[in-house]
Amino acid sequence: MPEDSDWEVYKVPPTRTPVSERTTSVPNPVTFFQTVFSYVIDAPVTFVREWIERQQAKNKFYYYHQKFRRVPDLSECLEGDYLCFFEAEAQWRRDRLVDQEIVEIVRERLGACKQREGPNQFQNCAKEVEQLAQVTKAYQDRYGDLGVHGNARTCLMKQKHRMMEERKAQANASQ
Amino acid sequence: MAAMSLLLRAAVAWGARRVPSGVAGGARLPWFAGAARLPGTVAPVRHSSGHGKRMFIIKATSFYDTRFLNLLRFYIFLTGIPAALFITYVNIFIGEAELAEIPEGYIPEYWEYYKHPISRWIARYFLDPPEKNYEKEMALLDVEAKKTELRLMELEARRLMRHRGDGPWYHYETPDKNLIDNSMKSTPDN
Repeated sequence: MPEDSDWEVYKVPPTRTPVSERTTSVPNPVTFFQTVFSYVIDAPVTFVREWIERQQAKNKFYYYHQKFRRVPDLSECLEGDYLCFFEAEAQWRRDRLVDQEIVEIVRERLGACKQREGPNQFQNCAKEVEQLAQVTKAYQDRYGDLGVHGNARTCLMKQKHRMMEERKAQANASQ
Repeated sequence: MAAMSLLLRAAVAWGARRVPSGVAGGARLPWFAGAARLPGTVAPVRHSSGHGKRMFIIKATSFYDTRFLNLLRFYIFLTGIPAALFITYVNIFIGEAELAEIPEGYIPEYWEYYKHPISRWIARYFLDPPEKNYEKEMALLDVEAKKTELRLMELEARRLMRHRGDGPWYHYETPDKNLIDNSMKSTPDN
């Protein structure tokens, strides 16, 4: 089943609508609907959910996120050392997945900021926009046009080309 | 009920008038005409016992279709319902695992990285640990790497021995020099 979004992560600050004084004697129909909802839907569902959680609390068990040890990078592997290549490749793929998740999280932060701010988003979300721009530019620079057959070796070659261009640009700028 | 029989009679009469246009069945374009349209061609039958007119409705057989759908439902539910009940039991009474930080000095087993209890069970009793798979792949790569290295060395050795001629390979059998008959070269006037 897809993950439910975590309530605590993007908590909206409590609304500051002021309490208005009653000007009519007609009761507010919203309270009636709220009580009906809480008796008909909310209470049974909460009761069932709490019963289920009591059953599940009898034997708790945990799962962990696996931590992988760092192995020597592809640039530290000797030529012809295929085992080192294999381990470096596996590490590079894991790192690429982690970077994809990082970009996704920064995107979610921007989305949450826009949702929170509403009409003020263009002024108040500038930091998140800047962060997303930087993160996506960095991701594009490193993993960008490698294509579907991109592996650690092609990424290293791309980095080498990037460094060569930088050096050339520096040399041109210093002339 | 009398009205129903009148309605049926009217529908039959109307259907009988429409028979030349719709011979196979009267159910073509049912959503256009809003009139009472009975499925198939309807023919009145005598010997009705007083309540309404008995109709003999002629339409294409749905025996095979219903048989197929019944069998489909039966075989799907035969294993589907026990599986659904089992999965519901597991989800309610056992529940999914909670995420926790890895405690100090504790190395979790490889099945403790999954959330759902059935995934954990399958990983524990049927699947190999991913470390084993990793090591197996590395062993395969190692063997293949050693094979390529040996093959390249063999090719290089062969090339050098052929070129230099001082190795154990590339020796060709030649006949003994004592067997050569030199009598035709022994005098200069032959």
